Amino acid sequence: MSAPAIPLGARFRRSPGLVGLKREGAIAPVLAFVLFFVIYVAINPELLTRFQLQTAANLVAPLALVALAQLLIVLVGGIDISVAAVMSLTNVVFATQLESASPVVAGVLAVAVGMGCGLFNGLLSAYGRLPVIAVTLASSFIFGALATEVLDRPGGAVSEGVTLATSGELAPYVPVALVWVLVAAALLWLLLQKTSLGRHIYGAGSNAEGMRAAGLNARAAQLTAFVLAGGLVALGAILLAGSTATGDPKSGDPYLLNAIAAVALAGASFTGGKGSVVGTICAAAILGLVGNVLFFAGVDSYWQYVVGSVIIVAVVGIPVIVRRLGVRLKGASA
Amino acid sequence: MSTVAAPPRPGTESDGDARHRLGEAVRRVPAAAWPLVVFAVLFLIGGIVRPNLLTLEALWSTAAFAMIVAIASSGQTLAVIQGGIDLSVPNTITLSALTFLSAVDSLGAFGAFVAAIAAGAVVGLVNGTIIAKLSLSPIVTTIAMNGFLFGVVLLTFDFSQLTDIPKFASDITSAKIGFLGTEVAAVVPVGLALLLALQALLSWTGWGRALFLVGAAPDVARLAGQPVDRIRITAYMLSGALAAFAGIVIVGFYAQTSTGMGAPYLLGSVAAVVVGGASIFGGRGSMIGTLGGALVLGQVATLVAVANLGVNIQQLIYGVIILFVVALYGRRAAA
Repeated sequence: MSAPAIPLGARFRRSPGLVGLKREGAIAPVLAFVLFFVIYVAINPELLTRFQLQTAANLVAPLALVALAQLLIVLVGGIDISVAAVMSLTNVVFATQLESASPVVAGVLAVAVGMGCGLFNGLLSAYGRLPVIAVTLASSFIFGALATEVLDRPGGAVSEGVTLATSGELAPYVPVALVWVLVAAALLWLLLQKTSLGRHIYGAGSNAEGMRAAGLNARAAQLTAFVLAGGLVALGAILLAGSTATGDPKSGDPYLLNAIAAVALAGASFTGGKGSVVGTICAAAILGLVGNVLFFAGVDSYWQYVVGSVIIVAVVGIPVIVRRLGVRLKGASA
Repeated sequence: MSTVAAPPRPGTESDGDARHRLGEAVRRVPAAAWPLVVFAVLFLIGGIVRPNLLTLEALWSTAAFAMIVAIASSGQTLAVIQGGIDLSVPNTITLSALTFLSAVDSLGAFGAFVAAIAAGAVVGLVNGTIIAKLSLSPIVTTIAMNGFLFGVVLLTFDFSQLTDIPKFASDITSAKIGFLGTEVAAVVPVGLALLLALQALLSWTGWGRALFLVGAAPDVARLAGQPVDRIRITAYMLSGALAAFAGIVIVGFYAQTSTGMGAPYLLGSVAAVVVGGASIFGGRGSMIGTLGGALVLGQVATLVAVANLGVNIQQLIYGVIILFVVALYGRRAAA
């Protein structure tokens, strides 16, 4: 064998996957997730039973999908205030359509409505040149009003079959919700990493001017990100409707700040162009399950809000402090 | 993208047609006045539809609700002007209201008032320090703070114990004051005085002028020798203290508490600031504009209620108004 002898450690450190994670700022959230998972299983080994895995997956899945949608918008350099309203709207569209249509038709309709919302936001932001945060602030009022118009109180007709298909088990120890999230995440990862459209989405956030100078269409990439994000939010809303067996015009509200928090925890840059699918899933799992861990540790579950916030500031802030200290030490020794 | 009126063009009499002069006149109106003009128009429209809406009583009732929104958005205005955003307003409001109620017995009304404002200022100090010194994004920092405060509120306070609203809180909010033969809620003059004082702080002090520079061009501010970090931190402190004041006003006016009492002000405060003509990217905004924004939103709510259209239509119109305002002032330069 004439291959140069690279020590195993170095080879691991240079592996493309790890370099990619590092570039996208996802090392800290992935490590935090591993640590969190170990603590969780140590406190409550029962997590690895069929029932608890399923409950945990149902708790995390909608947040993970909405966080992935938020990640797409953050990648193109914006922030989407309307995810909560889009989630509520698609949730009630799905639940009310089930009254007359088949689950597949209702699901397709909900995803189409979600993508329509994304198209609205995307057209105004990318082609109308309006600030994303302001457009989505406005549209969150509009979509929220539409959601209450469709269904003004919790209801709809979510059947047991739908609940099983969204939040049951595919096989023993394999929660369906987890499969849905992993399929969506894998497709999104492939799109972002392996297609030119995906690279354009990163480019639109990091250097839209450069893209235009290179003759590429940054606006189209931005618009696509919005439409895809709308679809992902709708998928999250469908899973939520399934696991709660109801449609609720306020169901999206808690996800607004949590989805932004998950994307922050994932190490994404809010100036655009940097963020990771893997990190976002890990971050959503941490934030979604903090309450469970505290519950099993016998701590008042209200502590989950305090602990969740401290985790966000710590995971996002500690790398900054370490980097600053590093710079200062190097400066002192020079 | 500046609020400074364009210098008058030396137009000659021959080409100085009326349209051009009108354009100049329109351009000279301070940006902050536009929301007030829109409010006046909406108020007149209300009067045409229902003559009893064109009275001082109707004005005062809309103004009381709008003033509460304006007070809750005043801190947000400062945060937005200096180039950030404060999404911890909702739970700062809740924290302050409950701190106030639970401290009244031991500290007296004024002591509790000071304690609640101080709690808000500490929240802002932490926000500002993390944002300025660690360069964490304002959105992330204040969302984390909002979650943290939610936990603190749930863990600290016993809601069933906090039902007595001290007289001090209702005196400065819901108590009626006679004015030109009509009765106006005390929150209107109290809020107006507060907003005018804050506008004076923004317009006529070095700190206020520096705040706009920090928001528009932080690097330029740093090169100009401005203590950018300190200005940012004091702005967030003031934002926290003002949200805390809003908490006392809200609990005094509505005389009830709940864990979600601050929630409507998350998007509501940003909406009033944006409709008031501030730039969401910083460097532009005013207290008078925010008051105008709150009045416009409040008058829309009144008109929708009178026309019996329901809250959904009101929210829909809010969304359209925000889009309209952003389309007017918020366009990015063509690139």
